[in-house]
Amino acid sequence: MPLDLPLAGIRIVDLGWLTAGAASSALLCDLGAEVMKLEGPGAVDPFRNWDGAKDGTDWWNQSPWFAFTNRGKRSVCLDLKDPRGKEALLRLLGTADVMVENYRRGVLAQWGLDAATLRKKFPRLIIASISSQGEDGPDRDMVSFGSTLEATGGMAALTGSGEAPVITGRDVNYPDQVVCLFASGAIVAALLERDRTGEGAHLDLSQRELTTFLLGEELIAAAAGNPSPRLGNADPLEPADRVVPDGQGGWRAEWPGGSAPVRDGAALAASEDFARGTALLRSPDGKPAKGIPFRLSSRPLAIRGNCRRLGEDNHAVLAEAGLTPEEITALEEAGVLATAPRRGVVA
Amino acid sequence: MVAPSVAPLAGRRVLDLGALCAQRPHGLAASLAARLCASYGAEVVRPVPEGGEPLAQAAPLLPGGGSALDRFLNLGKHAGTATGHFDVAIGDGEALAAHASEVPVKARISVFGPGEDGPMSELGLLALSGLLGIVGEAEGPPARLAGHQAAYAAGLAACTGILAALRAGGEEVVDVSLLDVATWLNWKVAAGVLVLGSSPVRGGARADWYTVPAKDGHVALVYQEKDWPGLRRAVGDPRLDDARFDTASGRRKHRADFLAILGPWFAARTRAEVTSAAQANRVPVGPVKWPAELLTDAQNQARGFLGPDGTPALPISWNGRRVTPETAHAA
Repeated sequence: MPLDLPLAGIRIVDLGWLTAGAASSALLCDLGAEVMKLEGPGAVDPFRNWDGAKDGTDWWNQSPWFAFTNRGKRSVCLDLKDPRGKEALLRLLGTADVMVENYRRGVLAQWGLDAATLRKKFPRLIIASISSQGEDGPDRDMVSFGSTLEATGGMAALTGSGEAPVITGRDVNYPDQVVCLFASGAIVAALLERDRTGEGAHLDLSQRELTTFLLGEELIAAAAGNPSPRLGNADPLEPADRVVPDGQGGWRAEWPGGSAPVRDGAALAASEDFARGTALLRSPDGKPAKGIPFRLSSRPLAIRGNCRRLGEDNHAVLAEAGLTPEEITALEEAGVLATAPRRGVVA
Repeated sequence: MVAPSVAPLAGRRVLDLGALCAQRPHGLAASLAARLCASYGAEVVRPVPEGGEPLAQAAPLLPGGGSALDRFLNLGKHAGTATGHFDVAIGDGEALAAHASEVPVKARISVFGPGEDGPMSELGLLALSGLLGIVGEAEGPPARLAGHQAAYAAGLAACTGILAALRAGGEEVVDVSLLDVATWLNWKVAAGVLVLGSSPVRGGARADWYTVPAKDGHVALVYQEKDWPGLRRAVGDPRLDDARFDTASGRRKHRADFLAILGPWFAARTRAEVTSAAQANRVPVGPVKWPAELLTDAQNQARGFLGPDGTPALPISWNGRRVTPETAHAA
């Protein structure tokens, strides 16, 4: 019998979108937390839109990309712009340990749900705000995607084997991926701190700062007057590293003492090490799902649930938050609680 | 009165075996994980081999002697031996077996998973995970991510696993595969194959984000389809109203003509001017900045992110305050 998972009993209200927010809470879900993903009928996670969506169907429940990241979470669809929806969220937060959000800065404050107000109301709550630039500063409202932050965070300048600095682009958006590894840890650290002090916290996580932090030595070298140039494909510690054509139209990585093929997706997916690894796993229904970036030997980790339909857990979650069946029905009738987005066609 | 410092790992002792790992990626990953533990308030002890600290002469070097890498990764740690009580030990399988058999929580870094530790470099990890192949200009070779991303990302994962294990209590081994972490970051490529039967490739159909030369450096041209009208407004050249440029595939197909219009507009302006015009239209374009420029960057200064010697704070503000090893140990 495996031991209890590390976050057993922890309840998380997940206002995380796309990867940076939603995959951070997915990892906490894998560690045993109960995650309640909360979307609005006027604002569903953009991952629900996908190329294969067809009008006239419940396209919002069909996106493989959404399911990939949000498997194992419960789903609530509640309109936070409506005061009744906001009130229901506050009731839910009264039963929660953690709230994760990566809305555009200022959106939650507009609804009276800013971190300072929530901290005062729920002193034990941990609020993790994941944003591009952080909660304050002159660039707070700068619009950025992950690759923008590679540019503004110092990474693009040092990446690239030719004349131009290189960004990872739409298929990687590196800062959106790597922040999940850090943010999930910071949230567990805040739970440890709460165990120690009894106090919740507001965690203000800037993806741009994380991008720069992961080049920390380059900042120190630059401050000392010895900035590094762009090194191309050489390792700062191993100048002999190189990437060479493999003679068959592909590329090969070479370093002193070894070499490896530069895999594309097909080669990766066909490899035995990938099949044995944990980067991609399957949810209980057999669908491919975002994996777990480590293993625990005493407490085996797995994807414990499928992706739920939008709003599938509306009743159960709000009942747990103390709403009566009549209150829940009234929210449904008002369209504040829903199981479909308001717009009927794919964006 | 000064509020007490945040120190979730106060009172915990962490054994950093990063200097004793047989391979460099493992050593860097372990060192970063232990560095994060120090920032969270743990007392971190780092034994070094007979020859001394392996990072002492590692690039990038400091003009006055010493290594910036050493300074960054070992901040807040103490040199010492692997004796006494520890709550956590971090290293490769061999170092943990030799020095940490009694430590209740172990983070074990490997290449492929427990016990699978063939010779590997960070470049090799990026190559095998697909993270090397997907990055770079279409016409050029694959481009390695700057710095030590493969190792550092594994260090971040290890730290999260350690924190979870400490919260759970009791004995635990957190196994972190360097390759699994790199592949996890690159999920879109692998998932593309499993979900759609094909995966994105470097320079493929979605490769319309790249850097463009401006007057004083480069700008990252980053935008989605919904941002195209805004970008067109920002540039304000009627030639961009041509139907050939209405869609992403059209702009890709006619990239040379597209850049013939866009390029000179970027080249005639500074990075700040281009960014300002794009941002005014809510287009997520941004300047490519060098690390040296980040030292005086207004956002970093306003948030107190970089120390006087360039050392970045832990990238988190906790109830409006920075978390640093110094403040943590002062708690």
